[in-house]
Amino acid sequence: MIKFKDVFVIDDDKVFHFIIKKLFSKNNIDINPSFYMNGLEAIEEIKDKISNGVTMPDLILLDINMPIMDGWQFLDEFRKTKKTTEGGKTIIYLVSSSDSISDINKAKEYQDQVKDYFFKPMTLDDLRKIF
Amino acid sequence: METYNYSDLKILEERNSFYKKLLFQSPDLIFQFSITKDGALTFPFLSKSVLTHFDLSPEEKYLDAFTILKSRIHPDDFDLFIQSIQKSKSNLKEWSHEFRAILPQKGLKWFKGFATVEKDERNTVHFFGKITDISSFKLQELQLKVSEQRFSFALEASSEGIWDLDVKANTVFYSSQSMKMLGFEAKDTIESINLWDDRVHPDDKNKYLNDIQLHIVNKTPFYENAQRVMTLSGEYKWILSRGKIIERDSNNKPLRIIGTHTDISAQKAKEHQLLTTLEIASEQNSRLLNFAHIVSHNLRSHSGNIEMLLNIISDETDEDFIKESFDHLKTSSKALSQTIVHLKELVEIQSELVQKKENLNLNTFLGKTLDILGEEIKKNKVIIQNKLNKNQTIVFNPAYLESILLNFTSNAIRYSHPDRTPVIRYSLTSNKQHKILEIEDNGLGINLEKHGKKIFGMYKTFHKHKDSRGIGLFITKNQIEAMGGKVDVTSKVGIGTTFKIYFYD
Repeated sequence: MIKFKDVFVIDDDKVFHFIIKKLFSKNNIDINPSFYMNGLEAIEEIKDKISNGVTMPDLILLDINMPIMDGWQFLDEFRKTKKTTEGGKTIIYLVSSSDSISDINKAKEYQDQVKDYFFKPMTLDDLRKIF
Repeated sequence: METYNYSDLKILEERNSFYKKLLFQSPDLIFQFSITKDGALTFPFLSKSVLTHFDLSPEEKYLDAFTILKSRIHPDDFDLFIQSIQKSKSNLKEWSHEFRAILPQKGLKWFKGFATVEKDERNTVHFFGKITDISSFKLQELQLKVSEQRFSFALEASSEGIWDLDVKANTVFYSSQSMKMLGFEAKDTIESINLWDDRVHPDDKNKYLNDIQLHIVNKTPFYENAQRVMTLSGEYKWILSRGKIIERDSNNKPLRIIGTHTDISAQKAKEHQLLTTLEIASEQNSRLLNFAHIVSHNLRSHSGNIEMLLNIISDETDEDFIKESFDHLKTSSKALSQTIVHLKELVEIQSELVQKKENLNLNTFLGKTLDILGEEIKKNKVIIQNKLNKNQTIVFNPAYLESILLNFTSNAIRYSHPDRTPVIRYSLTSNKQHKILEIEDNGLGINLEKHGKKIFGMYKTFHKHKDSRGIGLFITKNQIEAMGGKVDVTSKVGIGTTFKIYFYD
């Protein structure tokens, strides 16, 4: 069931971090994700990884509305990074409370980077789609 | 005794016949009219056409000249006719006169008489000349005059100006109305084309010249362009200029273009007003939409957390985990309540119940704000420059004013630049409709090119600052707009930000 090892959760909501952790363990997903409060924290970590030649995260759960650097800005920055490490592509899912048409349409513009768009609250079904 | 040979006679005869033809076949009346020393009037010669010209019967032709004239010339013109004859008789200069006649069959007719005048040795004065029926010309002239009058009246009534460009001379006839539009003396004027061209607004000039060019090269059936033109007093008027080439040379180059000027400033003002109203409506609309999304997003995010938390603790036995989950439930429930408070605040602004206005002393309210933020100001060593007049008042809702001052001031402190002492400066100016409060800081500044449109959006933050939640500016803008005001921002990253709050006066 588990295809991912290195998972990033980028969300400014600490309660969501807690929930994800618990959801994983309750569903026997043996992953200890790294949590970031906004896009900038995550992109800095990714740049670090690149400069140290460490493999990239294979899964990112990305919120849209965050302070400092939102989900869209993160995607733009992530695209720019030179991913020199070998291995599979990073799979990114958007996980947001926003059901606005403009966000949904914008997600389509990023479909080369984003695999799917999940609305919060995340369900078990959503988890099954990912893992 | 003179003798003629045959060929001479032949020539004479031919000549005679020629003159006869001239006399009889000319449509004009050929005459000789004489006034003797004693003042007797005679017509020693009248060509045959007198019969048709003046509706004379063959018998009447032999009446005395005065009687003939008196019976035919219009009574209103008769004295003038006689005077003109007298004048030519005394100065022996050629006679030329226009007059009307009333004829038994043909009715009113216009004639023009022309004659050379000679005096003979018996002091009799002779007029040799012709009289032409000019009725049809007169009729045309009259029609033209009426149509000109009609046109000129229509122009006056419509307040349109006329221009007439002589392309070769590069001069333009500007009608009095056109001149008046620009604030010049209302007088028909011929001037260089620059009189107008130099006054066209720089932003409109290219299109103006291009539109004329399009007509010159026959791309458009007529020229039409709305342009701002500077009046003598330095203000701009919107003028619709239309024209058409009415004459071209053999190379098809225009020689003359005639057109009109219409002052459409009032129309343009209305158009502008309509656009502004539309902009406001569309802004309000997008604000409402934004509002709806925010309601949905924020409620969903907190209620979603609560739902997920309840799910994961339902079959949980680990006490510590349950305790931690309850802490998060509390946090989420609190955040949910806070969101509802924010939403309620916004809904209240939109409703008219709290839109009560009072006359408020701006300085007193600023003092209150600075007191509330006293500790923050002290901690951050903020320098406050209060340039407000002591007794300056504005008409506003007191709760909103407090909230607005608090919001802008606390923002200025929160986003102050780490490398320098924060300075916040308050000043008030005014324009025709507004009192304008300026709050200027030397803080971090905002990249307006990037964030300009969404700066007042809810939950939009632009600073890399951990506390930024962005709700403040959204509520502030709504409060200001609910009071009929508006808010503007100018900012430079690294230099500072100035908010201008327009209070409707």
